[in-house]
Amino acid sequence: MIAAVVTRAADRVASARKWLIAGGIVFVGCIPLLTSSAYIQNVMILTFLMCVLGLGWNIMSGYTGYISLGHSAFIGIGAYTAGILAERWQVSPFLVAPLGGVAAALVAFLLGLTTRRTRGPAFVIVSFALLELLGLLARNLSSLTGGSQGLAMPLPDWDLTFYNWPFYYSLLALVLLSLWMTRAIRRSKFGLGLVAIRDDEDKAAGIGVLTPVYKSLAFMSSAVLVGVAGAVYGYYVSYLSVSTMFDIVLSMQVVLAVLIGGRGTFWGPVLGAFIVVPLTELTNTTIGGLDAGAFRLLMFGGLLLLVTMLLPRGILPTAGAWLTKLKAGDTGRTGARLVESGLPTVPPSLRDESAAVGGDVLRVEDVVMRFGGVLAIDQASFSVPRGSITALIGPNGAGKTTLFNAIDGTYTPAAGDIVLEGKSLARADRTRRAFRGIGRTYQLPRLFNSLTVLENVAAVNSSFSVRRLAASAVSGEEAARATELLEFVGLGDYLDVKATDMSYGQKKLVELAQVLMLDPAVILLDEPAAGINPTLLRRLADLIRALNESGRTFVIVEHDMQFVLALADRATVLARGQVLMSGAPDVVSRHPKVMEAYLGDDFVLEKTMGGATT
Amino acid sequence: MTLLVQTLILGLLIGGIYALMSSGFTLVFGVMKIINLAHAAMIVLAAFFTWWVWDLTGIDPLLLGVVATPVMYGFGWVLYKTVIARVHRADHELAMVASFAVAIAASGVMSLVWGTELRAATPSYFNTSLEIGSIVVPHAQLYACGGAVALLLGLYVLLRRTFIGRAIKACAENRDSAELVGINVERTMAQMFAIGAATTGFGGAALSVIYQFFPESHFVWIGRILCVVILGGLGSLAGAALGAAVLGVGETITAIYIDTQWATTVPYILIIAILVLRPQGLLGERMRADGAHA
Repeated sequence: MIAAVVTRAADRVASARKWLIAGGIVFVGCIPLLTSSAYIQNVMILTFLMCVLGLGWNIMSGYTGYISLGHSAFIGIGAYTAGILAERWQVSPFLVAPLGGVAAALVAFLLGLTTRRTRGPAFVIVSFALLELLGLLARNLSSLTGGSQGLAMPLPDWDLTFYNWPFYYSLLALVLLSLWMTRAIRRSKFGLGLVAIRDDEDKAAGIGVLTPVYKSLAFMSSAVLVGVAGAVYGYYVSYLSVSTMFDIVLSMQVVLAVLIGGRGTFWGPVLGAFIVVPLTELTNTTIGGLDAGAFRLLMFGGLLLLVTMLLPRGILPTAGAWLTKLKAGDTGRTGARLVESGLPTVPPSLRDESAAVGGDVLRVEDVVMRFGGVLAIDQASFSVPRGSITALIGPNGAGKTTLFNAIDGTYTPAAGDIVLEGKSLARADRTRRAFRGIGRTYQLPRLFNSLTVLENVAAVNSSFSVRRLAASAVSGEEAARATELLEFVGLGDYLDVKATDMSYGQKKLVELAQVLMLDPAVILLDEPAAGINPTLLRRLADLIRALNESGRTFVIVEHDMQFVLALADRATVLARGQVLMSGAPDVVSRHPKVMEAYLGDDFVLEKTMGGATT
Repeated sequence: MTLLVQTLILGLLIGGIYALMSSGFTLVFGVMKIINLAHAAMIVLAAFFTWWVWDLTGIDPLLLGVVATPVMYGFGWVLYKTVIARVHRADHELAMVASFAVAIAASGVMSLVWGTELRAATPSYFNTSLEIGSIVVPHAQLYACGGAVALLLGLYVLLRRTFIGRAIKACAENRDSAELVGINVERTMAQMFAIGAATTGFGGAALSVIYQFFPESHFVWIGRILCVVILGGLGSLAGAALGAAVLGVGETITAIYIDTQWATTVPYILIIAILVLRPQGLLGERMRADGAHA
């Protein structure tokens, strides 16, 4: 009963949504016409600034997952750029405001360079360092910025009755522009890639998301409109001082605003800004005196603390989860059974390579891997013939997964080379190896948990192009291909299920579909059979066989000998980082050296001793 | 030449103090993989505590560092139990945001309690120095650095030679396995965080004697600490000692040979440069875990 009411109400809200949004924008746009109160206009202007800042922060820290504690730096950059140029060129700051955005984007690009080799915690540090450094630079380079004296902006030359209007409407326009940009990003393949980076950056790199480019673009789009808004804001306050333009407290407030509204949601930053800024202004007017600053720090610090502890997901996601719970009913299809069928037909979108003959697809040549003092791979060499299923076996700790990591570019070998289709991969990073034709699954499947099954597969890129970035995330040709591949692996009914809700075995199949999306020359499977039920295992064997018949080459690391040796036509044995031998599976598996490697040399000894005593 | 030697000595003395200040931070990072942005606020808190008791009683501020140590241990324990552990369990990145919030709120509280003026403890030796030839070694720096180095050695022994030290190491390596072999992980983590906080006791005392400070100066100090640990490689105690020496010398050289106002930019420039050029730190080696996290 309640569920039905809620559902109906929710549906009505959803259909009224467009009108609500349009009405809201018109209302906000009319405020200066309705009231001439400078106070209200000021609160609105600061709220717009916070919206732009929050929407920008949300792209970098919400969608891409790089938490910035120095985002207000872009306001300062925009403001100072416009202020300095307006003075030099004797033009209106409005005219040079876009250049403030360009400057902010450039700095964001440089900031992105630090994320090439570092992740989460290090980025928090560098974002803070950037803000502090820019503040100090603005203070020290006084001939340019006025130093601690500050920089005065030109005085507005329009009628004082409409004093706030240009600031009001240009910032409102920037809010709308930020919203539009966020929506465009979220609906594009680019946005899908950003969420993939947030969920698992290494995995994203392995499925053809060119992470440095994605991150640079994300950081720049996260900063550019903030820079423009900073320029407008600087003109509005008419006087640039280092402490207000590079303000760590403002950086904290934007984190607070977006966390309250909902990190990684579309409206979250706007909702948060409309809560935090009016609250700030309210306390500004009610708390006065010497301790006002201290009270503000205490209040906002305390508020941020409470939000992280009590409302970590923010208002919108929490409310959304509530609604879904009330609605109930549709529980999805996670419980459905796999139907066993005959040998699956390989979808036509995959290249048929059964005609190609001869030669090695992949060669591992004298690869050496060291970790500190440990020699993990010691001059390993083996080759993978075209169209083969090569089993890579060996006891635990032999270096099988490490070798996979060296092949797919996760690790850089200390010596040796990986050769794909006759060409060295030494200079190709992980993503380029994916483009060149190396597809790999993981021992523990790694999916992007906040994406659906279809999105997980659609996020894969087999090459890079700017046009593809702008392509719609889950429609069009690529989504059709992803759907086809998911149907091929038997998950056609699960397209819209969140990856987290899939079972362990199903995740392995999704991962296989991701790899197939790359249409790779060689597929590396890391323990595909581990921990999945017999039905699924047979399904997997069928899939591998079908793909192999269409010419696909496999390398499989596996401990389930029955499974892998039945499939494989070649086996390579690895022990203590060295290749013991390669050959036909039945020959290799019976070889004394291999038995010894698996069971230890005392195995034989104990057996004879046991025989002697009885 | 004398100027250079003088610069190096001053830089290394400051470096010793930076090393102690950063040790607790890097310990917490090594175990929990979080940036504790409240660490410098704790140092400033300890500095206020020291200054306040010194102002009331006249007891030597560096000796008060010995009292501040257990006080900060307690503060750290409470902070861990009430905030850090809870948020860390839910979302480990948010724990960094929470520590940032604590730092901001704490500076508000300190302003309310002690005001926003510049403070400094000035014991009898605060502007006297030891003179060896033409080299001048300020007493305050010398004593503070001596104390800091002694405490660092103590911390090293604690982490290497005692059960709690080994338990902390076990938790850093693998919490689940530590739990399985009978280590009370939650208690060990709380102790670890509290030990990290305890290092701010003497760190703050040293700060109160050598520098002027006010509530919001924790931003400057977190910058220096972040620089030290980035230089040394996040999570490495030995690296922090090296990083501290490099930063101390770097700042002093900049202040003496270029300009004091540029010395403040040194930590931030080093942070950005290191993260672009050599993110594993000066000593760090890339390990297996860097490439793949499952």
